[in-house]
Amino acid sequence: MEMMDYGNGLNPTWCKGCGHFSVLRSLQTAAARMNIPREMLAVVSGIGCSGRISGYMNAYSFHSVHGRSLPVAQGIKLANPELTVVAAGGDGDGFAIGTSHTVHAIRRNINMTYIVMNNQVYGLTKGHVSPVSHQGFKTKTTPEGAVDMPVDPGLLALGSGVSFYAQGFSAQQDELIELIKKAIEHPGFSLVQVFSPCVTYNKVNTYQWFREHLKSVEDIRNTDSSDYIGAVELLKETKGLCTGVIFQNKEKKCYEELHQETKESNLVKETPQISEELFQQLTKKFSL
Amino acid sequence: MEKFTMLIGGIQGEGVVSTGISLMKALSRKGYYTLCERKFSSRIKGGNTHIIITVSEEEVTCVESTYHVIMAMDQESIDLNFHQLRQDGILFYDQELQVSENLSGNKKVIPLPITETAKDQGKSFMKNTSVIGFLGKMTGFAYDELEEIIKNAYGKKGQETLTQNLAVLKVAYNNDSFDSTMAPSFQHKKGKAKMMMMGNEAIALGAVMAGCRFMAGYPITPASDIMENLALYFPQIGGKTVQTEDEVAAIAMTVGASHAGARSMTATSGPGMTLMGEGLGLAGMIETPIVVVDAQRAGPSTGMPTKTEQSDLSFLYYAGHGEYSSIILSPSTVTECYEMTVEAFNLADQYQCPVIILTDLNLSLSPQTIDAIPFENPPIQRGLFASETFLSSYKDGGFPRYKITENGLSERALPGIPGGQHQVTGLEHNELGRPSDNPDNRKKMMKKRMLKTEPLKNRNEIIVEDQLNGKTLFMAYGSVYGVLKEASKRSESDVDIARIRQIKPLPVDQIKKLMAQYDSIVVVEENFNGQLAQIIRQETDRTSDIVSLTRYDGNNFTIEEILDEMERWCK
Ligand SMILES: Cc1ncc(C[n+]2csc(CCOP(=O)(O)OP(=O)(O)O)c2C)c(N)n1
Ligand code: SF4
Repeated sequence: MEMMDYGNGLNPTWCKGCGHFSVLRSLQTAAARMNIPREMLAVVSGIGCSGRISGYMNAYSFHSVHGRSLPVAQGIKLANPELTVVAAGGDGDGFAIGTSHTVHAIRRNINMTYIVMNNQVYGLTKGHVSPVSHQGFKTKTTPEGAVDMPVDPGLLALGSGVSFYAQGFSAQQDELIELIKKAIEHPGFSLVQVFSPCVTYNKVNTYQWFREHLKSVEDIRNTDSSDYIGAVELLKETKGLCTGVIFQNKEKKCYEELHQETKESNLVKETPQISEELFQQLTKKFSL
Repeated sequence: MEKFTMLIGGIQGEGVVSTGISLMKALSRKGYYTLCERKFSSRIKGGNTHIIITVSEEEVTCVESTYHVIMAMDQESIDLNFHQLRQDGILFYDQELQVSENLSGNKKVIPLPITETAKDQGKSFMKNTSVIGFLGKMTGFAYDELEEIIKNAYGKKGQETLTQNLAVLKVAYNNDSFDSTMAPSFQHKKGKAKMMMMGNEAIALGAVMAGCRFMAGYPITPASDIMENLALYFPQIGGKTVQTEDEVAAIAMTVGASHAGARSMTATSGPGMTLMGEGLGLAGMIETPIVVVDAQRAGPSTGMPTKTEQSDLSFLYYAGHGEYSSIILSPSTVTECYEMTVEAFNLADQYQCPVIILTDLNLSLSPQTIDAIPFENPPIQRGLFASETFLSSYKDGGFPRYKITENGLSERALPGIPGGQHQVTGLEHNELGRPSDNPDNRKKMMKKRMLKTEPLKNRNEIIVEDQLNGKTLFMAYGSVYGVLKEASKRSESDVDIARIRQIKPLPVDQIKKLMAQYDSIVVVEENFNGQLAQIIRQETDRTSDIVSLTRYDGNNFTIEEILDEMERWCK
């Protein structure tokens, strides 16, 4: 399979230069490298410029509502565990309106992937402050500059017990492809946060700015990715500005392993017939 | 035997409810029908709780509001309920309580050694076993039959516990404070096969039999039992329940699972329903079947969590922003809760839209004797799916998931099926599921979604009971209907009664026929505004002959209240 096989011929409505293009290409390329049959791939997105990503995939794609890509995606995966399920959305989607879903999806550790396209601004609503915008960031709703402290996506994820956490950058597509591939391969919930610049509404955190500030985890890490404290320190030291696999816990059992029922139970294929014996068993507590 | 009603009251956590349920089960085994209402304070332990049980040889549809017997284990049970005791009724109370001298009238007041017997023979917390001894004797049970009940309840809890409980039972049973004239004579016989069930349990069972295998929910009174029951069932049959972080996630997950092809549901009450508006709209827009139970309680906001009401209807009738089709089914009995849950899943799949099962706290939570639900796999209608051969002709996302058809229904393709790849989106979309705000497309799609449930308006989902051809029809749904039924049995008026089983789409033709037949339709419901009456007036364009009768204090209508109204309408 080729990257192009995962496209549906539509031209994205994104601004020229938007970081989200690269995320789309990376997801398509990762799927191609992994040879995921298109019908076995479900891409669920939220609302935002980022949320449009599902609409450009040749897959079973689901453009849901603002902040809800994760619950929808988990529902799909639980119903049909044979599918490869990828949720995707913006930083507003994942760390404002959908924060609780992010935390609880991490806790549940269902075998799926979540890509957050972080541009530190609300693109679709034309430039409002985001929960990851830096203090002082001026937008139409924060003309004096943002006062609220930004959320730290990496620490939030680690604090919630994430089993795979990586960060990528739209301008480093080769790395991003590999990160998405590793995330999908990870048996459990994997979160990939992508620095995906908004060229129209964020004039601070630009491609150039990220080039100057981002460090590669490979260059600075002196522990391996399974070291939790090491991962926390790495994020602290770099103020979160690093790319690579920050943390991976391969030992942690995912939902599918813990709830053994899910292994064979594809809820879609199961026949609903109940035997008389089973019916008696189910209604025993009502019998007199 | 006439109907017989008893109240057992005590401190929450003392087994008051389970004592009542044990007695109900025992009586049901002996051919009787029973129905109870449970009253609890929102405290888990320590508050007063009581259970009111009506027993009859015929089906019981509501508890009576005056009691033959009160069995009080705490003072509050007396204070709250003594005035409801019939003039010829008896108050039995634990002799440890200080009962004031001036409890008036001819009512008999008899102290019983409830705690004392428990303490002497076992432990003081075995009070409920004393109560079973006293009440069991009164309702005509032989000692060994009661022994059986105690063995079933405590057999697994160790020999000592069992022995002590049996000792308590024996002494209580042999207490001679009763004589046979105090209660009607209970004639035990073997009747039809029966079950003891409440609405929520019937819904969970119905869901399983309908092939539902996924349930996401967030706990809330009075809906939690549905998830609790499914959590017990699914491991036995291969299904999953998820307790989500909130109701927004619960319904979104339900939509996801259903989109993937599993029959899926969620259940909640008013506060959760408010949060689910978003998911209802999503399911409506992308035409994904889901089943949502709303077990109504008194609102708004947190309202009165343990009190019954039917006040979510207006909100649900128009739920969410924008316009889309949905279906609201309104069962009135436990058996209907079962049957209509099956129906809800079939309608959801056939019409590809949300189906709401609307109950109320009293219907959802009142255990009662019903004729046993027979074993039968109900017919399953899963609606339209594109065939795999058809799909294989589509390569690159050309499958028209939202094809415009005459009846507005189009074929689904489930994730995993080659060739069926397509997008669904909460944005307005074209036949391929791709975003579009083209005005012509918008009009076509709106019509498709809005008109597809139109045929359901022709269903005759208003059931008129034993027509007397009077001039007035009383109509209700949910637990209120049970009160109408009992009142109409007792009433000498020629008022007819009906229950409505489908509120949306409203069976307009049928209602218009009924309007021609009756001078007035009195819609009886538990909310302030008369919400169902409002909807009927609006949909039929008729105002004068639709009358509204409401109650909104958290309690069910009483039989007497309805009887008075019926007499009034008969003049
Ligand atoms: C419930 C709800 N509230 C608000 C909106 C408006 N809205 C659409 S996208 C968005 C935020 C987009 O920002 P982000 O998630 O960071 O994605 P981006 O557009 O930057 O890719 C908002 C507030 C909405 N669609 N739904
Ligand atoms: S507004 Fe920003 S996020 Fe949206 S498409 Fe343009 S560049 Fe991308």
